[in-house]
Amino acid sequence: MSTRILAVEDDERIRAAVKLALEDEGWAVTEAATGEDALLHFQREPADVVLIDIMLPGIDGFEVCRAIRRSSDVPIVMVTARADTHDVVAGLEAGADDYLTKPFAPKELSARIRALLRRARTSDVSSPHLRFGDLEIVPEEGVVRRNGRDVHLTKTEFRVLVELAQSPGRVFSREVLLERIWGYGYFGDGRLVDVHVRRLRTKVEADPANPRHVVTVRGLGYKLQV
Amino acid sequence: MRRFPLTRRLGLRARITLAFAIGALLLSALLSATTWALTRENLLDQREESATVVVYQNAGIVQQQVRDTDAQTLLGSLPTPLGGRPILFNGDEYVSLTPEFGQDALPGELRDIVVGGQPSRMRFRLRGEMQLAIGIPIPSEQVAYFEIVSLNDVEDTLSALGVSLLGASLVTTLAGAALGWWASRRALRPLSGVSSAATALAAGRLDTRLEPSEDPDLRSITASFNDMAQALQDRIERDARFASDVSHELRSPLMTLAASIEVMNNQREDLPERARAALDLMVGDIDRFQQLVEDLLEISRFDAGVVRLELEEVHLAELVMQAVSHSTDADVPVELDAELAGVVVNADKRRIVRVIANLLDNAAKYGGGATGVSLRQAEDGVQIAVEDRGEGVPEQDRELIFDRFNRGSVAGRRGSSEGVGLGLALVAEHVNLHGGRVWVEPRGNGQAGARFVVQLPVEEQE
Repeated sequence: MSTRILAVEDDERIRAAVKLALEDEGWAVTEAATGEDALLHFQREPADVVLIDIMLPGIDGFEVCRAIRRSSDVPIVMVTARADTHDVVAGLEAGADDYLTKPFAPKELSARIRALLRRARTSDVSSPHLRFGDLEIVPEEGVVRRNGRDVHLTKTEFRVLVELAQSPGRVFSREVLLERIWGYGYFGDGRLVDVHVRRLRTKVEADPANPRHVVTVRGLGYKLQV
Repeated sequence: MRRFPLTRRLGLRARITLAFAIGALLLSALLSATTWALTRENLLDQREESATVVVYQNAGIVQQQVRDTDAQTLLGSLPTPLGGRPILFNGDEYVSLTPEFGQDALPGELRDIVVGGQPSRMRFRLRGEMQLAIGIPIPSEQVAYFEIVSLNDVEDTLSALGVSLLGASLVTTLAGAALGWWASRRALRPLSGVSSAATALAAGRLDTRLEPSEDPDLRSITASFNDMAQALQDRIERDARFASDVSHELRSPLMTLAASIEVMNNQREDLPERARAALDLMVGDIDRFQQLVEDLLEISRFDAGVVRLELEEVHLAELVMQAVSHSTDADVPVELDAELAGVVVNADKRRIVRVIANLLDNAAKYGGGATGVSLRQAEDGVQIAVEDRGEGVPEQDRELIFDRFNRGSVAGRRGSSEGVGLGLALVAEHVNLHGGRVWVEPRGNGQAGARFVVQLPVEEQE
């Protein structure tokens, strides 16, 4: 069965053009013009990737993102009007895995989607059990437990944690994490890493304000504390 | 050298202070001089009157006794409460108690008048001291009685008064100057507020306003200044918003176009030849169009003053290398100062990358392609330079080319008309935002071509 993409965009013509371009890639595209519409579609038939424009009439893109996140860890790409506004951070905090700025080239969009799909499917990590204090990571099963209880992570959050856990104590720069997880080169947006680490901390740390597992190394990046 | 009149060379404040000082000086000098002159006359008149009274009494004594008494004894017996020196003219000669105050001490003019039968008095100087001589003829006895009274103590009093008055004038003048200085400062204070507000406006802080003033004299200037600032702000914001709105509205149709063209391009091989040629034109222009809209949007954000730097710690050498290798001209050699190998700066990565990309673009379009990019340590910061092999930029265009839609007078000759003319303006904006500056100079070393230099400040890292 081919990959299903739910595209939420209120501009009919952009939606149609994006659909055409994505279908060229061999993906099945479901369109939604409003947030309400999108949530209905998603409940009826979950997609493999969701593309959400932030500016929507009715409930906005952030709300759609949060609503989907409550029940699913499906990869989400946000579409924002500008890269230098708070929208990007807000979108990532609402649960998006990646973002694009309008106008984007369809090629760029399909590259982002492919990277997300790869991330969602890979479990090439073969290390068995990893344990850090109260934290237990089972890469093969895609499971993380804190104090024996399952912690629910999105695919991207999980990849960030596993990437750091592969070499405990080693410092990973934002650029390295961007390249390994998102497939961006040098010019990826460091805020992707920062917000994902922040989200990860709220789930795996006892006190997210004073992290003991995923710690910041000022000016260098992040590491998993042994 | 041009010469300015004094009033132009001195500031307004200095002029007001000077005017106050001169006014105070003139007034106090006039008052002092009047006081001094009146006091002097008054004191001298008093002394003369009392001396005259004494001299008349003594003359009476002389008249009664001159016939029976020896002249010396007579003169010695006369009371002289004011310290007068008596002199007697007995018809033949002058008799006095001391030779210094004898005939020679008396002014000849006075002697002639008195001996001629007319009582008289006269002020004169004797050995540097002021004296009063009074002479009374006594015709019944054929003699004349003279007395010389020193006015020295009156002079002392007057000179002491003069010194006090001079001191008072000086103090008054200084006080006048101080008053002038203070008053001018008070009067000019609102102007310094206007000046700093105007400077702030010029620097782009468009919401700068003057504090509303209670003072009725200042209220109108404050109000009209604020009206002007408001009109300026409205106008600039309207222009900026217009550019921003237009670019924004253009983005949606552009995106549809770009996506559709890409879909068509995927089926390029299935198209007839003429349609393919038309498609190729569209593919080429849609990129330019998008770039132009992006640039316009970016520059309108600068105009609206809503631009913020997204600062992060950036490894500068790596940033330059990456920017070049991701540009359209990835093969340009990059030269790095060894000492800059580990330098980390706080910069907005995206903007610095755009700066380098735009400079390389500019070199490709107008300079026959970039010949090299270098990163060097400069005196107060670091310099990123992009060199090309074009004809260089003529002196008169070197500032102009950083203006919007201005490609310099020889741009047409330098290459195709591909450029939109916003690239260098954006370079300048991005660099200014970082507190740096950008300029263009000849490539030097006798080689044709231009060198665009971006200088960025480097703060010390902890």
